[in-house]
Amino acid sequence: MKVSDVLSYAFGAIRLRKLRAGLTTLGVVIGIAAIVALLSISQGLQDTITEQLQTGFATDTLIVSAGGGFGMGPGAMTATESDFKLLINYTQIINELENVRVAVAIIQKASYVKFGEREFILTIVGVNFTKYTNIYSSTFVAETGEIPLDPENETVVVGKRVSDPWKNGTSFCDVDDTVEIIWTNASRLPPKNETYVGHVAAVLKEIGGFSLTGPSDFSVYIPISQAQSFFGTDECDMIIVQLENDDEATIESVSEAIDEAFSGQVSVTSSTAVLDIISSVFSTVEIFLAGIAAISLLVAGIGIMNIMIVSLMERTREIGILKALGMKSRTVLLIFLSEAVIVGLMGAAFGIASGWGLANVVARVFSGGGGFMGAGNHAAAAGRMTITPVLTPTVFLGALAFGLIVSVIFALYPAWRASKLKPVEALRYE
Amino acid sequence: MISVTTPVVERTNVKKTYMLGKVPVNALQGVNLKVEKGDFVAISGPSGSGKSTLLNMIGALDKPTEGKVFIEGVNVSTLNDNGLADLRRRIGFVFQFFNLIPRLTARGNVELTMSITGLGRDERRKRAEGLLETVGLKERVNHKPAELSGGERQRVAIARALANNPKFLLMDEPTGNIDSKTAKEIIELVMRLNEEKGATIIIVTHDQQIASQAKRTVQMLDGLIV
Repeated sequence: MKVSDVLSYAFGAIRLRKLRAGLTTLGVVIGIAAIVALLSISQGLQDTITEQLQTGFATDTLIVSAGGGFGMGPGAMTATESDFKLLINYTQIINELENVRVAVAIIQKASYVKFGEREFILTIVGVNFTKYTNIYSSTFVAETGEIPLDPENETVVVGKRVSDPWKNGTSFCDVDDTVEIIWTNASRLPPKNETYVGHVAAVLKEIGGFSLTGPSDFSVYIPISQAQSFFGTDECDMIIVQLENDDEATIESVSEAIDEAFSGQVSVTSSTAVLDIISSVFSTVEIFLAGIAAISLLVAGIGIMNIMIVSLMERTREIGILKALGMKSRTVLLIFLSEAVIVGLMGAAFGIASGWGLANVVARVFSGGGGFMGAGNHAAAAGRMTITPVLTPTVFLGALAFGLIVSVIFALYPAWRASKLKPVEALRYE
Repeated sequence: MISVTTPVVERTNVKKTYMLGKVPVNALQGVNLKVEKGDFVAISGPSGSGKSTLLNMIGALDKPTEGKVFIEGVNVSTLNDNGLADLRRRIGFVFQFFNLIPRLTARGNVELTMSITGLGRDERRKRAEGLLETVGLKERVNHKPAELSGGERQRVAIARALANNPKFLLMDEPTGNIDSKTAKEIIELVMRLNEEKGATIIIVTHDQQIASQAKRTVQMLDGLIV
């Protein structure tokens, strides 16, 4: 029997039971759609994060912090028990190391910020504006006003979302406005509220969502000398080190040199290491998500098997006729497998399409959220993020193949049983 | 020995025992039958006499427990599944209950036999229409079995049996489920095929009228030819 005839016979059998075939196909559609949606969203998310990190978090920088790693490294939370203090003037030590272009200390504290009547908790970042501008020349850029490179006293630079939190022109503060920063010094008893009255010198250009160490849309920047006296400390939260280049070797040698200079009491994190961690986290998450989706496909497979066994019983007589007419067992097997292939292919095709649609809907809903209220008290604020789902050819072909393979595997047993029917018995079957 | 259109002469009694649940049934207890080219044999007997089992032997649907069955010069016992399938393509089988595929049209049913042997689409369509015309169903080619009367279905079944130019035509109670007038027409059609085209015909029936039309009658009782 010709392949085209086998296919058209199988197709005819499917068409006879449209509802049943439709429901069986739906199982595959759901499984494939889940896989495609989850994978394309997570791929899109990873691309977005990686891209934003690469712009907001220059690859030629290192982060030095006291004790443990920077938030992401193992033991980040536990290794800070020593008495070691990361002082602002340690930048001088780092500056003298080979391959270091510039080192900048950052003080970072959550404080109340008052704009007239309104009050919010925001991250106050104390930093040397000149050095910071050098490192983040593409993101620490003023949209209005001018970043004072030789800062006068009490100047403030605010992120775009601090000025215009809802993206609709409602202005909380603008250049030349005055803001009040209130910080509660809890290190002494009784706690005392310190107030810093600043003059907004510049509003930053919008950076977009994500930054781990670089400038953020949600922060308020004050000169490091001001921060030092305002917060009453010589300590900084981290030192950002810009290197001469972003070669693997340079990153490694400088990291080791810094580690040595502070006798292992600091942790040095490179942006590439963070990116590596993020992408490894993502692949784990992706495998996990795909695994969950695969379970639904497995259920669909069992559905196919179930339906085919029912179909086999219903069609026992038909199979008997076909065999009595001289059809070979192999051809009977092929007919049943073809039915599964048709269901699998249609399911995979519709599944990919609807999964892709679903991913876009979810991405749109997700991207619509965020905003000012989503801002954390940390520079790593997850703000508005635009996710564009990505359907890689691997995911596309993988989903297609997976749908097909699952369908065929679960059809193998019923098809084999159909092919083994004895014509005499099959014809006698009522 | 059973031999159909085979120039083999051998005398071994054919026996067939099958299990009905746990009870062995000796359906054929030693049968010899020789059918030659152009013959028209009617096999009759009461139910349970082994007619159907004999028919399954001749139709290469089953193998004997003992003895040899030669069809077209081939010993059926020596064939595997594929060999049997190949052999069946050369036999025109008309079943008692028509056994048409319900979702296919009359033409589709006739074409199916030819598509199994791998005949091209255009060729088999032309041939199917020609055969349906021969059995007098020219106007009904696009009807499905459910839209046809019993007699019409039986004619589709005959057209289907003839599709692959079979060496002989095997009919199981071809008039069992149709009215006597249609039955007469069917018998006339079968006789014409035998007389005009020289087709070899083996027919199982307990209708004595039909049996009397045949060139030769074989009477069965309790698994033996009497």
